[in-house]
Amino acid sequence: MPIPLYRCRCFAGLVLIAAAPALVLAQWPSYPTQGVPRTPDGKPNMSAPAPKASDGKPDLTGIWQNDRTVGGTVAARSSANPPPTNEALLAVARRSPFWNLGSQFPDGLPFTPWAAEVHRQRVADNSKDNPDAHCLPMGIMQFHNHGEPRKMIQTPQVIVILYEANAGLRQIFTDGRPLPKDADPWWYGYSTGHWDGDTLVVETAGFRDLGWLDVEGSPLTSGAHVTERYHRPDFGHLDISVTIDDPKAYTKPWTVTVHQHIMVDTEIYEFVCQENEQDAPHLK
Amino acid sequence: MRLPIAVLGTMILPFLLCPLSAQWIHYPTAGVPRTADGKPDLAAACPRTADGKPDFSGLWIIPTAREPNPNFPGCAAVADEFINIAAHLKGGLPYQPWAAALVKTRQSEQRVNDPMSRCIPLGPIRLHTWNGPRKFAQTAGLLIIMNELDTSFRQIYTDGRPLPMDPNPSWNGYSSGNWEGDTLVVHTNGLRDHTWLDATGNPMTEAAKITERFRRINFGNMEIEITVDDPKAYTKPWTVKIAQVIQLDTDLLDFVCGDNEKDISHLSSK
Repeated sequence: MPIPLYRCRCFAGLVLIAAAPALVLAQWPSYPTQGVPRTPDGKPNMSAPAPKASDGKPDLTGIWQNDRTVGGTVAARSSANPPPTNEALLAVARRSPFWNLGSQFPDGLPFTPWAAEVHRQRVADNSKDNPDAHCLPMGIMQFHNHGEPRKMIQTPQVIVILYEANAGLRQIFTDGRPLPKDADPWWYGYSTGHWDGDTLVVETAGFRDLGWLDVEGSPLTSGAHVTERYHRPDFGHLDISVTIDDPKAYTKPWTVTVHQHIMVDTEIYEFVCQENEQDAPHLK
Repeated sequence: MRLPIAVLGTMILPFLLCPLSAQWIHYPTAGVPRTADGKPDLAAACPRTADGKPDFSGLWIIPTAREPNPNFPGCAAVADEFINIAAHLKGGLPYQPWAAALVKTRQSEQRVNDPMSRCIPLGPIRLHTWNGPRKFAQTAGLLIIMNELDTSFRQIYTDGRPLPMDPNPSWNGYSSGNWEGDTLVVHTNGLRDHTWLDATGNPMTEAAKITERFRRINFGNMEIEITVDDPKAYTKPWTVKIAQVIQLDTDLLDFVCGDNEKDISHLSSK
């Protein structure tokens, strides 16, 4: 049987879906988020209008959790629900975009022959070289789909995304600068954003080569250009449509949409993947 | 990655950081006050946020008078306080006996157990003294410090929340700040046990409370006064002051310590 590749953070975030939010509340000091619209019964009003920044643009600031509804969920443990088997957990995981972006398309991703071989080899290798499995940055697509929350902070010049998963950090410059012609390759690339009405359009280039877009290893090359469209339709929701244009790896550009919802009255944890790391030598 | 920091675990003091300007894209920093000849006016008044508070936003480095190591041309030297947080503290640190013994042990082990040698976090104080840049982003209710080192971050809440009574221990602790005039006073608790404040191995324990007083003296300069009250490791609280200077027209680089990391398995205290 293949060894399940997720480490504890993926396990908690991706698979033990029902348990994760409860753990967050139990362990991290809860402090009320300011400016949360409430329904008459005091609950956050997720469908209230999206807040605006001082410059009148939608404010994307907040802690966001991936909806994780695509792959299905595993029932919470109870006396009636014994712990799920590894096989059941893996079956759910493999249907998720975090694990396999191709699962979102009837015919899978439009790999070039080269990329199809890279992908095949990575699956055959049990994803042992996934950067996530070695405490390295996951890149923007695995971060978008990750089960652990991320916090966005919007300022007029830059939008910062703090990822709980492996304490990742990304900057999106919104000060009008152009994309550089020949940036140093970066795990997250170099990102600039501008507003198209109420949608933040982020263009990213300058990626490191041979990135992993999902656990299966759908590749992203240094020639990729990624366009993300962030739209906050209401207080509680954030939709990110991501278009990957990477002619070396894909025969045509393709687009997936990530759905996230807000988390209030909590915070992201400190998460240090490298600490007491004992797994990497055993991955095979 | 730019630099195999873990290598430093087996070397004594060549803490290096190669210059940023040659490698990263120049983009002009907005809102820089200029002197008559067009140069940045570092002595100009500090910028302020919409609510009238000093704005710490910007890219900062710790200045140093140390000479760069000739064996590593083009690489910046570290500050004295990175090597020893008490480098300029009269009388040195007021160790508890066990803490003094621990420092001796750590010094005899060639930093084999230094978190920095193992690509794990440095904690809030050592991140102020590391010679790479850090970027402050200040918003209403929150100050973010982004570190080039391992593209990591620290959050300082400025929304008036109290410190939690018994938070989970963490490398950065839990930080809450309030304004005293133009000084941002940040209190931190919830720290992990047995951390390293510097390359000497001066310890900090889970009993520690840190108070940092951030002052942006003018456009170009910031001062951070740090008081560590850690009765488990020190017989009394002690205070040091470090400086930071602004860096313009550049930004943080991507620095992933664990990338292609081959050193840890070779670290030896002998």
